Amino acid sequence: MEAFLIPLSAALAVSIPALATGWAQSRIGPAIAASLAEKPELSTTAILLVAIPETMAILGFVVAVLIMLRAGG
Amino acid sequence: MILSMVRARILGPREDLDDVLSTVQDVGLLQLSGTQPAGSLRPVEPDPREAREVKRLRALLVDVDVLTARFAPFPSGGKPQAPASFASWLRQFRRVRRDVDRLEAKRRALEEERTQTARLLEFIRAFRGLLPTGNGTRTHGYHLVLRGQDAGVVPRLREGLAQAIGDEFVLETAPLSTGELAAVLLVPPTDAPRVERLLAQAGVHELPMPEGSGGRTLGQIGPTLTARLDALDADLAALEHERRALSLAVGPTLAGARATAQDRLLGLAAKENAAATPRSFVLEGWIPAAGFPRLVQAIGARFGGRVVVEPVAREDWRGEAAPVVLHNPRLFRPFEMITRMVPLPAYGTIDPTPFVAVFFPMFFGLILGDIGYGLLLGAIALWLRHGGAPGSTRRAVAEVLGAGAAFAVAFGVAFGELFGDLGTRWFGLHPLLLDREKSLLPFLGLALAIGTVHITLGLALGVFNASRGHPRQAVGRGVSLVMVLLIVLVLLAALEVLPHGLLTPAVVGLLVLFPVLILIEGIIAPIEFLSTLSNILSYARIMALGTASVMMAVVANELAGSVGSVLVGVLFALLFHLVNFALGIFAPTIHVLRLHYVEFFGKFHSPGGQVYRPFSHWRPNGTAG
Repeated sequence: MEAFLIPLSAALAVSIPALATGWAQSRIGPAIAASLAEKPELSTTAILLVAIPETMAILGFVVAVLIMLRAGG
Repeated sequence: MILSMVRARILGPREDLDDVLSTVQDVGLLQLSGTQPAGSLRPVEPDPREAREVKRLRALLVDVDVLTARFAPFPSGGKPQAPASFASWLRQFRRVRRDVDRLEAKRRALEEERTQTARLLEFIRAFRGLLPTGNGTRTHGYHLVLRGQDAGVVPRLREGLAQAIGDEFVLETAPLSTGELAAVLLVPPTDAPRVERLLAQAGVHELPMPEGSGGRTLGQIGPTLTARLDALDADLAALEHERRALSLAVGPTLAGARATAQDRLLGLAAKENAAATPRSFVLEGWIPAAGFPRLVQAIGARFGGRVVVEPVAREDWRGEAAPVVLHNPRLFRPFEMITRMVPLPAYGTIDPTPFVAVFFPMFFGLILGDIGYGLLLGAIALWLRHGGAPGSTRRAVAEVLGAGAAFAVAFGVAFGELFGDLGTRWFGLHPLLLDREKSLLPFLGLALAIGTVHITLGLALGVFNASRGHPRQAVGRGVSLVMVLLIVLVLLAALEVLPHGLLTPAVVGLLVLFPVLILIEGIIAPIEFLSTLSNILSYARIMALGTASVMMAVVANELAGSVGSVLVGVLFALLFHLVNFALGIFAPTIHVLRLHYVEFFGKFHSPGGQVYRPFSHWRPNGTAG
């Protein structure tokens, strides 16, 4: 059972934050694109705002690695 | 670092104002700022003569822009020329504009006629032999041009004609080079009215005959058209020659005229920054402290004791009003580009450029961490640098990339990576520091340790920044800094890296400092402290991206051996490495920028610095102000 649950947990740990990141970026992207059309000088802010939600996916990846290494042996 | 500025005040007789401004413009270091009217001091307003001059100069610039566009490519820059006479330039450019407009209108008409003539000749060539050459024929001919994109147009026309006049017609088509279809329709003269009605209803128009064909048919005017085409080509060549002569006559003057006019406009606009009484004037502005003696010397040399330049006392101006000039050692200077991508730091605060110059390439290299990719990136950086002018953005990008490449190679050696595990397979490379492919937890620990150092440095800089005017904030940041260090101590003691005996004092210290932090910074303090801790965790991305990079490279190498054909496998692996390399440049750049702007700058950066725009001679890139 563990052989099934450990990879599943790791997969969920990375996939759920990745979906959340994708959803957040899908909302931020159009808003930023609209802002850039009016104020092109916001391009640096735009890059940052789009990159901010990626923290979730990255931390999810780290947790998945920890699950695999610690629980998977 | 941010250069120290001086607020300079210039006082002198009113009649010297224009000459003083000219000298200040020559020195090119003083950023003029409005002088506050006080007592009998009034703002200097342009007199009617100057207002007329401004209008003339603007008209001149419009003419220069139009002519430059017509005669392009001409250099847009140029040294200011002696202002012989703006009025004579204006007259000359107006005359040339009229000539150019006349030539352009004539060229358009000739081009139009040439297109029509060439089309007719093509039509004639397509139906040579079919076109009637005499007037007394037994058929009536129509020369049509049909839309070539519509495949059904010819069958539909045939069907319509058959219904209208039966089988008594000939319809031949041929494609034209324009994509249209040329068609010749021959019908009995008695059916002509019905056919014309049908063509009008179908929206099909006859090819217009050239002017002066005198009722002759298309078959008859062929030789005339060929001669006309040659004549048109000769006329167009003559027009081009005339345009080129005009361009050679006026072109070289344009850049100089623009620079001179812009320079004069800047000088006139600068006067509005002065305040004056009927007899004297006052000018104020900002100048880097190192440049102040140069201004004093230039004014003194030209005006002697008549005009005085003095520094305004530091307590009489606010630091936020002063412009910011970043000045860093040559090695750090390219990284000013990264600092300038966010609002400039306020005057009197810390310039983050030296820290960016150290940490940006280090983090970049830590993520890319591969000798092969690093060398490739270094080659790209060298190529970029070779083509970039000194001080240009291209060169700055090249030098930032070059530093990143150097760190990537260094960390590649430390991790034993050359295009992933290819170095291990081919050259027996071994990791000196850690194996990123296997040692995920040590790599995570390294990333978080670097994050802790970076964030505590940011907090320390924040304490320094806040200590100049915001002591309470400084103490709050200092407490946060100590708490972060205590948490690190607790973790290290718990993991028995440090003596276990340190655990209890560190925890007690945390428990004592926590209420102190709330007392100083309010109820929001715990949330801000948690956000500081999550900022440190955010550095885990260095490990995540680094691991992804090495894994992609390893997969690329595996692919080479797993595909049946060696050639296909190698090509596939090369493609995969190329994708990984592109990602390896893009992803670290974005994420390292984010670590700096969000995590690091957030701890100390005080935006709000004004851009320094000294009053100097006009330059094409618009740096004068």
